[in-house]
Amino acid sequence: MATAASFALNPRAATVGDFFALLKPRVMSLVIFTALAGIIVAPGGIDPVVAFTALLCIAVGAGASGALNMAYDSDIDGLMSRTATRPIPMGKIARGDALGFGWTLSAGAVTIMGLFVNLAAAALLAFSIVFYVGIYTLWLKRRTAQNIVIGGLAGALPPAIGWAAVTGSLSLAPLVLVLITFLWTPPHFWALALYRSDDYARAGVPMMPVVKGKASTRKQILGYALVLFPVGLLPGAIGLAGPLYVSAAALFGAWFVWEAVAVWRETDVAHEPAARRLFGVSILYLFVLFAALIVERLMGIAPLGHATFGAWM
Amino acid sequence: MNDDDDQNARNDRARRMRNVALALVLGALVVLFFVMTIVRLKGHVFDWQ
Repeated sequence: MATAASFALNPRAATVGDFFALLKPRVMSLVIFTALAGIIVAPGGIDPVVAFTALLCIAVGAGASGALNMAYDSDIDGLMSRTATRPIPMGKIARGDALGFGWTLSAGAVTIMGLFVNLAAAALLAFSIVFYVGIYTLWLKRRTAQNIVIGGLAGALPPAIGWAAVTGSLSLAPLVLVLITFLWTPPHFWALALYRSDDYARAGVPMMPVVKGKASTRKQILGYALVLFPVGLLPGAIGLAGPLYVSAAALFGAWFVWEAVAVWRETDVAHEPAARRLFGVSILYLFVLFAALIVERLMGIAPLGHATFGAWM
Repeated sequence: MNDDDDQNARNDRARRMRNVALALVLGALVVLFFVMTIVRLKGHVFDWQ
């Protein structure tokens, strides 16, 4: 049977599945979903084949960012139990191969987006890849506790890229969707960091619980959750979403805040059950909000007017 | 079969599957470029007539 050691001695044994794992498929699925929402709620029509191509480019661009992140972070990934089984620290894929794989896919995704969809979407896709790899991975991640706050912008952009693929421009509405994901990112990752803080400390990654302590992190999680609640309702206020979305955002936003309060009051610091629950609820929250946007539009119960406030690009 | 043979067989199979995957991706790209070209032509050339 193949072991980690045998792979470490022979990276030529890399399987297709190992390369697929470099793309961070679980992260990619959420990116595809939020980008799809951006495409569907954007005003105007788009040829289904062009929409599919845009979604494919966004998915490949996100996956390529993941591969580059794993390549540049392979040293610290090997030190953390959550990431030690990734293909590069396991020795299944050479770091240089992952870099070539990631940059090739990035260039391909941006080029095809520019050629077949439009330049605005391609520029936004290129920006999100460069921001995630250059600003977050190479610069902020190892230097500041605000790493995932600022770096979260890259992961928040897919709805705007999807919107730009349809309209060729940006406006207030897609930026509200970006803002929701941007504010969602810190409590989501800090919940994870609370119960993985030993991992991050061992790897020397300055996540908030490691640098400022768990008590400060709990307060900040609650703060972000309280800000996220009204921001999550904004699509209803600007005419982007209807009652189904607003009801879902209110219900799941309240649940998010409830779990954030539980994290704030947590006493079991060894196991952090509330943080584990919040991590799961945060994923559900984002999924439900964007699903509600999509369902409203597909069922024809979304508001007819769009508060796009003019094109900005 | 010793460990080296076992490893070589695994390498060969992995390389074969990587090549198949690469061929499928390249084939899909050819199809994508063809279909997208037709779609873009439809919007900019065919509608002239």
